Parts: sequence; C-alpha cells; structure tokens
Amino acid sequence: MTNQISRRAFLRGSLLVTGGLLAACAAPAAPASAPAASSGGEAAPAAAPAMEDILLRWDTFRSPGTGWNEERIDTFMQANPGVTIEFRPLAGSSQQDNYAKMYAAHAAGDLGEICAFDPSHFHFWRAINKNIIMPIDDLVAADATDLSEWYDLFMSLQYFQGKLYGLPSWGWAGFDTLVTNAAHFKAEGIEVPDVNARDVSMETIGEWAHRFYTEGERFGLNISHGEAGVVTLTRAFGGDLINEDGTQCTLVDNPQSVEALRWAYKLAVEDKVLPATGAIENVGAAQVEGKLTLNWGGSLNVRNYDRDIKAASADPAVAEAWQILLPTLPDGRFPSQLRGGTWNIRQASEHADVAYQFLKHIAGKEGSISFNLVSGNFAAVRPDTVQALIAENPIHEWFLSSLENGIAAHAPANSRGREYTDAVQQYTDLLMDPNQPVAFEEGLQNLQDNIQAVLDMDPA
Amino acid sequence: MAALTSRFDVAAVMRRELAPRKRWQNFYGYLFLTPWLVGFLGLFIGPGITSLYLSLTKYDVLSPPIFIGFDNYVKMFTDDPQFWPSIGRTIYYAGVGVPLGVLGSMFLAILLNNKIRALPAYRTLFFMPTLVPIVASVVLWKWLLNDDFGVVNQALRSLGMADPPGWFGDRRWAIPSLIAMGLWQGIGGTRMIIFLAGLQGIPEELYDAASIDGASSWAKLWNVTIPLLTPTIFFNMILGIIGGLQTFTAAFVATEGGPGFATWFFSLHLYKQAFDYWNMGYAAALAWFFAVIIVSLTMWQMRLSTRWVFYYGG
Repeated sequence: MTNQISRRAFLRGSLLVTGGLLAACAAPAAPASAPAASSGGEAAPAAAPAMEDILLRWDTFRSPGTGWNEERIDTFMQANPGVTIEFRPLAGSSQQDNYAKMYAAHAAGDLGEICAFDPSHFHFWRAINKNIIMPIDDLVAADATDLSEWYDLFMSLQYFQGKLYGLPSWGWAGFDTLVTNAAHFKAEGIEVPDVNARDVSMETIGEWAHRFYTEGERFGLNISHGEAGVVTLTRAFGGDLINEDGTQCTLVDNPQSVEALRWAYKLAVEDKVLPATGAIENVGAAQVEGKLTLNWGGSLNVRNYDRDIKAASADPAVAEAWQILLPTLPDGRFPSQLRGGTWNIRQASEHADVAYQFLKHIAGKEGSISFNLVSGNFAAVRPDTVQALIAENPIHEWFLSSLENGIAAHAPANSRGREYTDAVQQYTDLLMDPNQPVAFEEGLQNLQDNIQAVLDMDPA
Repeated sequence: MAALTSRFDVAAVMRRELAPRKRWQNFYGYLFLTPWLVGFLGLFIGPGITSLYLSLTKYDVLSPPIFIGFDNYVKMFTDDPQFWPSIGRTIYYAGVGVPLGVLGSMFLAILLNNKIRALPAYRTLFFMPTLVPIVASVVLWKWLLNDDFGVVNQALRSLGMADPPGWFGDRRWAIPSLIAMGLWQGIGGTRMIIFLAGLQGIPEELYDAASIDGASSWAKLWNVTIPLLTPTIFFNMILGIIGGLQTFTAAFVATEGGPGFATWFFSLHLYKQAFDYWNMGYAAALAWFFAVIIVSLTMWQMRLSTRWVFYYGG
C-alpha cells in the first residue's frame, strides 16, 4: 500500500478542478427577459417575470462620466415603467478596441440587445453578414417612424442590401476641410478665404503648402495617409479610391484619382514640403503651437482646434482657428466621406420592439443633441439638432454644407475593412516616402494592387 | 547477522513512523502547487492544445471553425506578403538590440559594482527608465526624435548635419529608433540587477589571487569576471532573445507597424491577423510556427552553451 498520493491521481484531480473552474467562468445565461408564453389558457409559471419586467442590456462605447448614457437610461425608464436598461460600458481605449469584446460577447451569447457596429469602422457589414444584428424595417413600419428626421446621407449608411439595420446618433463628413491657422495668412498678408466658400483651387492649396513651409519650423500643409484622408484626396480631384460597390480599386484607371495622388506625391516626395509619416506626433498640438498652417482634416477638427486654442490661451498672432473647404466638384457635390455611427439591435432579441423604442430614444433629437453636447462634438446627423448645437457654439454652422451635400463612404463588399484601411495606410506611406522615394507609377501600382488584393479576399 | 537484522528492523520502524508525516508533507506540497497547476492546465496547456487545433481551421470567432488541414501553414510560407518580411524585421531588431542590450547591461553592472561614492543613487538612477510605462516612454522618444521639431535633430542641425535622420518617420531609421528606445529602457533594468547579483557571487579570493599574480584590471575582467559571469550572460541572452523576438508594444504604440510596414514585426503581424482581421485560425498557425522557432532557438543555445558557459565549482 502506498502512503503517497500518486501524481496521476493528483493531476486527475487538478484537471477536474480546472474543468470546474472553467465551467464556472462560462458566460452567464441571457437574462430571462421574455415571459414564458402561456399556452392553452394556462397562466405563465409563477417564476417567470411579469410581462412588464423587461431587461435590455446596452453595450455602449460611450464611457461613464459624460452622463449621456445615464441620462438616456433614466429618462427612458421613467417613461417606460417595468423596463430596465442595464448600462454596460465597453471600456476600450477607443471605439475600435471594443469590437473584439463585442464579438467575444456575441460568441459567448452575452452581447447586449442594444449595441453599435459602426459603419465608419467597417464593422457594420461584418455584423450583418455574421447575423449579429437584425434588420429593423418592420419595427420602423410598425412605429411609422419618419426616417427623414435624419440626414439622407447618414441614413443611407444604415442600409445593407436594401434592409435597414440601425439609426444614427452621430456622424461626420470625413476629411472634408482644411483646418486652417488664419494667423499665418494674416502674417503673410494673404486674405483668408471665407469659411463657407469653396473657391480655393487645389493648385492654390499646393502653392500654400510651399509658401507656409519653413524648414525645421513649420509645415504649410499636412495630409493624412489614412484611408479617410486618401479617399477625400482622390475625391477632391473628382476621383475615388474604391467604387461604390466596394469591389474595385479605382486608382490607376481613373485619371482624376491619378492626378490627385500625383499632386500629393509632388508635394511630399519631389518638393519635400509635407511632413513624412510620424513627423508630427500630435497634429492638433502642432497647429496650436503655430507649427502647421493647413491640416487636411475634418470639420470636427476645426471645432477642436478652436477649443484647444482657447484652452491654451494661445496668442492670436500664433494660432487662430479657421477653415478652408475643398472646391466643389463638377457634379455639384462636395469632396468628403460621410461616415456615420449607428445603434443596432442584436439578432434574436426577444423584446426588439422595446429595444427599438430605446434606439429612437438615443438617436432621436434630444438623444442626438445631448450625445454631441456632452462630448463637445458636432457630429450632427439630424437637421433638427443643428440649431441647438450652433447656439452652443456658432462655429458649428461652418460644418453644415458637407452634411447636406457630401459623398458617403464606400466600404469593401467583403467586410475586410481593417485589412483595407491598413493596406491604404501602409502602401500610401510607401508611395509618399520622401526618404526612400519610389517612382510614382510604381508606388501607385503597388497601392492599387494591394488594395485590390484586399477587395478580392473571401468575405470576412 | 543479528546486528544486521536489528539495523533493518530499526529502518523499518523509522519508515513506519515517518510515513504519516511524509504523506502530509506530500499533501501540503501538492495543495500549495494546486493554484499553479490549475492555471498551467487551464490557462496554458488547454488554450495551447485548442490553438493547435484552431491552426488547422478557418476560424473567425463568429462562426464555427472549419477544418482545412495544413492550408494555414502553406499560406504563411507561400501567400502572405508580410510573413517573411516581418520575420526579417524581427530578426534585425532582436539581432542588433539583444547583444547591445546584454553587453550594455553587463558593462553598466561592472561599473556599478565598484565601490564609489553615492553608489545606491547611481544604481537607482540607471534603474529608473525601467519604471517608466512603455507608452509614456514612446511619447517621450517620439518627441525627442521628431524629424523636424525634435530635440535630437535640432541638436544635430546645430552641429552642422544638414539632413539628420527621420527616425520613427523614416523606414531606414524606424527600427534603430525602437532599438535605441529599448536600450534606454532596458540596459539599466532588471538585466543589470541580475548581472550585479552575478558579479557579487564571484569569489573575492579569485581577484586577490589574480592581483598577487600581477594581473591588470583588464586581465582580471577578461580572465576572472567575464568567465564567471558566463552563466548570467547566457541567462540574459536567452531571455533577451525570446523577448526581442516577441517585440510588440513599442511598435504597436509608436508606429503601428509603419511607416510603410517598416516596423511590422512578426508579433504585430500575428496580432493584426488575430484581433484586427479576425483570421484566428491563421493567427494560431503563425503563433505555433513562432513557438517552434523560439523553442528550437532556445534549445540550440542550450547546446551551444556547453562550449562557452563556465560554471564555477560546477
């Protein structure tokens, strides 16, 4: 008889303990929000919740502290006794970081009934393809919701294959403007263009990139190599990066797209007057410090620039917020890339009708205004919110035209959004590299081929 | 014979009496091991075996895995444009950064092993960069090495260098910039502490004997210190190479793999495939390939170590 515990027996015991622990860590069952259906006139079991006891879980990227989530929940619950909205903030460092958690929650059966798979982050289409979020057309019809309350272009981003999947409470026009330091114009004796006029040509912008550039001290113009920046660059010349279907890269075959990238290539590689990738760590701070005159950004950045100047009490002779809008295209549209947020309802939600009412509550007029005011944005997606935001800060009036007459974002049809954005960023870096230049045609073809390779991948 | 029998009897009695105590010792030993064993089985072996299976599948978390055999492994060698380049960049980073880091730590430890005034203050000073969070360190170094406005390039320009490096923004200099940042943070860190411990374990009498023989300081370093430090060098080399090959955070935070893939290391490639592109099966295959490489490299170093590592008294 052995007087020791055998290793085998001990390991077996450890495995059992481990298995038990892992089982205990398994996802909790979804809340029993739906009452058990009674049949044959029988009453529902006593343990089942009453009809009005409805629990909906809201997985929101908007973190606690702003008060927006809490205020929306409180007002909804007051108006709908018996409905409980569980506030489940996703604590990623950015909204993009939250998708991993949301996918994992979905795989574990623990995704909230109300969630957001944002078209501007390219997760919207994947969530639809993977049957994570549900179409809401029937709910809209039953509620007789007037969808014209939202800007058409933002609503257009909520559709996929003819079905509506969400309502937006925020959105923006992409890289639709040049965030401008008017102080530099005044110092140079150049009249600053009107903030709402679109009368500055791309040629003039190129000249200003030279004029305001002082080696080691200041850049005249900064262009992002990110997808949002490159798309609007091509659109500013009448081209585009990919087609509307998201299946073809439209660079080398489109003379306007080629012209756009050649314009940027000349400034970046041949003339070396644009900052290389990473040369400006914090573009906003550089502009407040007077180290950058024109930053090709979005209208939201103009507002933030103005806010940062005031926060820093910057000398008006060093920094003054202004904007220069990109020239109108021959077809009358404004170069931009409208990117909208969304709020969705999870597939197979048992109280989708109540969830839809909550969607309207957060994407409606009051919800949309407070969403923007608490975060200091101007991400207006509803015309009826504009006046309230302008009253809060008149600079918001500068941003309206792109929202009304811009161009919506195009997304890869195969939902390979992250591969797409990485390919655009990295291969644009290579094309625009002033330190190890490649011939324009070679770099452009390389960019085209690698974007197309992503668009040709199997659906995600 | 009687004495012998008597001795066996005593042994049997002792065994009988000690048995319960030994049994309890074993029980407590395993009891205290349990948390580690549970973690090892549940959080290492279990996921490891799962990932080995997933490496043979197409899996995106959102749909059930589809078994595809060795397709992921074939793809990584034949149809992934960033596979081989990312390995090349990783080898470059580890191949330059690790030897410099280990040598730097060793010589810093040798310097700080001298009896000089304010020694604790110096040791603290050199250890401090290790305490800086890596994200803060990245922000600091990006500011220092900014192409146009950075302090380093301003200084280089004032010294007459017309076209100083673009550092993080220049494909040629991005990896050297990360290496420089890593050296600043790593040379005076735990590796230096380990070297200091190794140095203090060298018997003083060996130096006394060398002095009596008329050995110079250089001769003592070369013939006493370094040979007796070889186990510590070996240990730090092993950890350094594994850490160097796994480099991720600095590139992820500082450059996100750019500019133009210049810092797209293997671990970043793996991360992108797993958590950005949701190609979990392919990422699992990359991880297993990487694990095999690291284990093989470590075993190879262990074999080589018999030729140059000297264990005093061993």
